[in-house]
Amino acid sequence: MTDSTSTTRQQGAVYDLGYQPFEGERTGRSGARKTVYFDGIRRVLGLRRKAKRKVMPWALLLVAIIPPIVAVGIAFFIPAGASESIDLAGQNSAFFTLAGTIAMLFTALAAPELLIPDRKDGVLSMLASRPLTTADYLGSRFASLATVIGAFMIVPQLVLFFGQAGTHPEGLFSGMVHATHTLPKIAAAAAVYTIAFGPLGFVIASLSKRKSVATAGYLAVMIALTAFAEAVVRGSNIAGGRWVALLAPINTADAANVWIFGESNPDSLLAAANIHPAIGIAALIVSGAALSMFALHRYRRLA
Amino acid sequence: MVETSITTSGLGHAYGSVVALHSLDLAVPSGRTGLVGANGAGKTTLIKILLGILAPTTGTATVLGMDSKRETIDIRSVVGYMPEGPCLPLEQTAADFLVYAAGTAGLPKRAARQRASDVLTLVGLHEERFRYLGDFSTGMKQRAKLAQAIVHDPELVFLDEPTSGLDPSGREEMLDLITRLGSYGIDVVVSSHVLRDIERTCDWVVMLDKGTLLHEGPIGGSRSDGTVHLELISDPKPVESALLQGGATVTMQGRLLEVTVEHGDVFELVRDAVVHTGSSIRTLDSSSGSLEEMFLHHGATQ
Repeated sequence: MTDSTSTTRQQGAVYDLGYQPFEGERTGRSGARKTVYFDGIRRVLGLRRKAKRKVMPWALLLVAIIPPIVAVGIAFFIPAGASESIDLAGQNSAFFTLAGTIAMLFTALAAPELLIPDRKDGVLSMLASRPLTTADYLGSRFASLATVIGAFMIVPQLVLFFGQAGTHPEGLFSGMVHATHTLPKIAAAAAVYTIAFGPLGFVIASLSKRKSVATAGYLAVMIALTAFAEAVVRGSNIAGGRWVALLAPINTADAANVWIFGESNPDSLLAAANIHPAIGIAALIVSGAALSMFALHRYRRLA
Repeated sequence: MVETSITTSGLGHAYGSVVALHSLDLAVPSGRTGLVGANGAGKTTLIKILLGILAPTTGTATVLGMDSKRETIDIRSVVGYMPEGPCLPLEQTAADFLVYAAGTAGLPKRAARQRASDVLTLVGLHEERFRYLGDFSTGMKQRAKLAQAIVHDPELVFLDEPTSGLDPSGREEMLDLITRLGSYGIDVVVSSHVLRDIERTCDWVVMLDKGTLLHEGPIGGSRSDGTVHLELISDPKPVESALLQGGATVTMQGRLLEVTVEHGDVFELVRDAVVHTGSSIRTLDSSSGSLEEMFLHHGATQ
């Protein structure tokens, strides 16, 4: 270092930068919605929260993903045609039904987590001063829930998809091309489960002050609806009673899932009620829209 | 920045049959404004209307030149709000919450992180940024609430009872922060029922009582009535004599003196009298009475 450099070099100095105004571009309403959406995903997965908040969502995700991994493992090691071998191509709807049950348990935990703390801690009053409408807030939160429910449904299916491709006799790439037709079906079935489970979870969470009460209430309602529909459809001769089958979201979603994959289940509640699964899907969409409107109305009253 | 930050015309609001605001006409200039009134005076209702959270039953309001009913989203992009009640997610760290608060105000992610860090430093919470908000003391929570209100660099910020629940030192720090906001070019509306806080921080006042406007005007003008309250540690007699000789009117109660002058600066007269007699002062207060008296005066004349 030269002398001239050393003489011009400053000694350590502390600068008081004071208040720095923000002069960049503001993303407004769309940015606000995106922020609420990503916060919702982090919240339901327990990310950037205390360790105890991570246990249940990740445990459920593991439970959803382990069975298809085991099935793919068996398919890899036991050659096709052997008595213990598994045909992965026929497993989609079966694993969807399993993942659907887990997704329902997840919804029971996640919907209260998404809505109740914001009300309980008063965060809604902060959000009310942001460039967001009530519909933006609830829509973003629902999108968070739908994304994670979708992940619950789709990740095990992707394991099956790559398992099918990997065990295909003509190799991985050919196998992927061969199995591509299942991808839109996977997306459609995941959407059906999301519509069947999500809006009811939001309505119950919007009515409860405590997360545990909302979780228990949601599971109780789901089970009660199934039991009631089963009793009316299979155990009574009430005129027009067969339409009560549409009140059971779990059964309706399961039947729709089987139908989407081109299979049939004559033992399902919809089959017993002689209702086509497409009508079941339409009923889920209508009831989902009605429940969403109720949640929106409830939140407008809270503003 | 516009000259007038808030205007209202015939603004009214009713919760069912209960009328919370009666035909309010306001023209609040840029700067720091105090919104004073007893509990139930309509302060929070007014703020909620200005933020577009509540719709007015009658009349109109503009905030920074924008209509509160039609341009709600635009207003919310450039204003901040510190509610009186809790608004902090207890299971989030201060840093994460501030980034979230900045994002919900429309700041891009990188800018949100930078602003969150800067504002936490500004309110004195930088060292606590990785602590969960549920573990914060009341004073720290109030600062975090203020931080979320300014994290997106608003043009105008509404602070609803910002010193609520604070101990004396926490209150002083909060009032200092509020005063500094004005120097950063942020217009401030402070809602409070503590008149001393408003006098300390604001230069304009809006007084409400049972939903009606008692008075609106500059605070500086209201306090130049030439009266101060003086409490002495030493014998007050010599000071009283010196003040009377200086032409003041003095009312003495124990060691408390109320000093009024018709002309000239009352503070200079008190200073000279205290120095001349070698007395010691416990308190000298011109402001505690004036706004309070003004409030009572306007209340009595309604």
